[in-house]
Amino acid sequence: MKTVSTGVLLWIVLAGVSCAKKSPPAAVDPNVTTRGSIEVTARLEEIRGDLIDDPLYDYAHVMKYKVVQVHRGKVDEDVIYVGHYNPAEPRSSVADARVQEIGGNVKQFRVGDVHRMALEVPIDDYYMGGIINKYFGDVNDPVHWAIWTDKAAK
Amino acid sequence: MMKRCVFNASPSNAGCRAQAKLERVLACDGMNRNKRGQTSLAVPPRASSIGLNTYESGRGVCSQECSRFDTGARETFVLLALAAIVILVPAVSGAQEDRVAQLAKEVGGKGWIAFAARGENGTWDLFLMRPDGSERRNVTNTPDHEEGGPRFSPDGKRLLYRRFAKGTVISHDLWGFQGNLVIAQADGSNPVQIGGDREFPWASWSPDGKQIACLSQKGIQIVDLETKKVVRELPRKGIYQQLFWSPDGQWFCGVANARIMWTVVRMNAQTGEVNIVHEFQSCTPDWFPDSTHVIFPCRPAGQDGYGFTQLWMGKGDGTDAKMIYGEDGYHIYGGALSPDGKYVLFTRCPEDGGGSEKSGAPICVMRMEDAPAIHGPSVALRKVHPDAKDATVLQLVEGWEPCWTYAETGAQK
Repeated sequence: MKTVSTGVLLWIVLAGVSCAKKSPPAAVDPNVTTRGSIEVTARLEEIRGDLIDDPLYDYAHVMKYKVVQVHRGKVDEDVIYVGHYNPAEPRSSVADARVQEIGGNVKQFRVGDVHRMALEVPIDDYYMGGIINKYFGDVNDPVHWAIWTDKAAK
Repeated sequence: MMKRCVFNASPSNAGCRAQAKLERVLACDGMNRNKRGQTSLAVPPRASSIGLNTYESGRGVCSQECSRFDTGARETFVLLALAAIVILVPAVSGAQEDRVAQLAKEVGGKGWIAFAARGENGTWDLFLMRPDGSERRNVTNTPDHEEGGPRFSPDGKRLLYRRFAKGTVISHDLWGFQGNLVIAQADGSNPVQIGGDREFPWASWSPDGKQIACLSQKGIQIVDLETKKVVRELPRKGIYQQLFWSPDGQWFCGVANARIMWTVVRMNAQTGEVNIVHEFQSCTPDWFPDSTHVIFPCRPAGQDGYGFTQLWMGKGDGTDAKMIYGEDGYHIYGGALSPDGKYVLFTRCPEDGGGSEKSGAPICVMRMEDAPAIHGPSVALRKVHPDAKDATVLQLVEGWEPCWTYAETGAQK
């Protein structure tokens, strides 16, 4: 009995490895490929200031990204500034009464992570609420608004 | 929330326990309700003002002081302390009650206050009452809707407010975007819905009452009320909520992202030029009748932990900011002036946000000449504002976003 069980288990593992080898690359979420007018893959370079987790108040926090690839739209700079709504929340549950058309699979914002994002610019045309922008006064570039934020391979 | 003296339960500090009992009475926030439905802050705000230990005295300090007395002296002290309590507390308490009663008498005939509150049906309704809390009545009484954010027109003849679907949680930051705009007579009669759901957000009256200014994603829109057409538009310049048009029509105030978020700004209504009135955790601004000063709640930096929101004022040009009223343990919102600027309305809520998500908070009336004022022990706040007065505050019923007119059009016909 033990020999049979071990054999079955081995077969399942080998079959799994075989299937994994043959499976195509994960499909890109259509939300990120269709929403907004800009789509980029970018590395999160810096988060200035602490991400506030206060359920009483909503805000967007501006973060600095290094652009890896532009998929759609026009992006002139290598470095862009992106406002993420209530960034202490996972993207999958961040939509609320104030901002309904927003999402993604990023659970936590960490410097060094690479994100594939659907964006709009400038942020004021698409979002109406508090903005924490620690680059104010240092940088004059327009701030992008993150509509959809998925994790991408580094 | 109030800081209280903590006492060891030993016979050696019986005097302290007597004081503790007194302080529990002072700190229980038990408002005396009078025949007119007012609740007054009738107890003396500081025990120290009647010769007792201050609220700063913690367990250690109190124990050390009490241990200095031998038994005989201690008994004498206890008797003297109790005598002082028996004689002085009612006197001081009575004097405070007299001051509150005088304030109520002073404002009782000065027009009407409109505000939102929970009706008997459980929904948010609009109410009118005299500024002393009398003649209160529900003027919408709609069990199938919620109403909030009433604003008298400059002539006091009409009310502008928002009507929400039943069960809507009214967000203290989003309410101007929620529901429908309604304009009714000042007594609540003839309500007319203006536009559809979420239209005409953050509407506020023009000086002549013929137009409204609205704040939307597109910008600030001036709308003619007769035609409902947008007659002028301005970029919103980072303003994202709580827009109000000044009584002289020259300015807007609102909450904006400027150098930092939660900044109260002033915008020139003609040129669209914006200047900062007050930065850092400042919101919900409104105009003084002189169109020169702005009133706004602010939760200043430097407080222990989260801190408490105080009521502030400043000139529209960003100078001369100062506290009007503060109280550790309470967040002060709903700041609004009487039409002559002599009195100020506000709400005091133990939770931040003003209470719109629940049942509001007690509405209060204070004389502007008493500002800056502090109520309660507010030890930390008194250190920051050592010259602040002890507030004489008339506390009325629970509500949210009160406003005041001296017009008599709110009277029942």
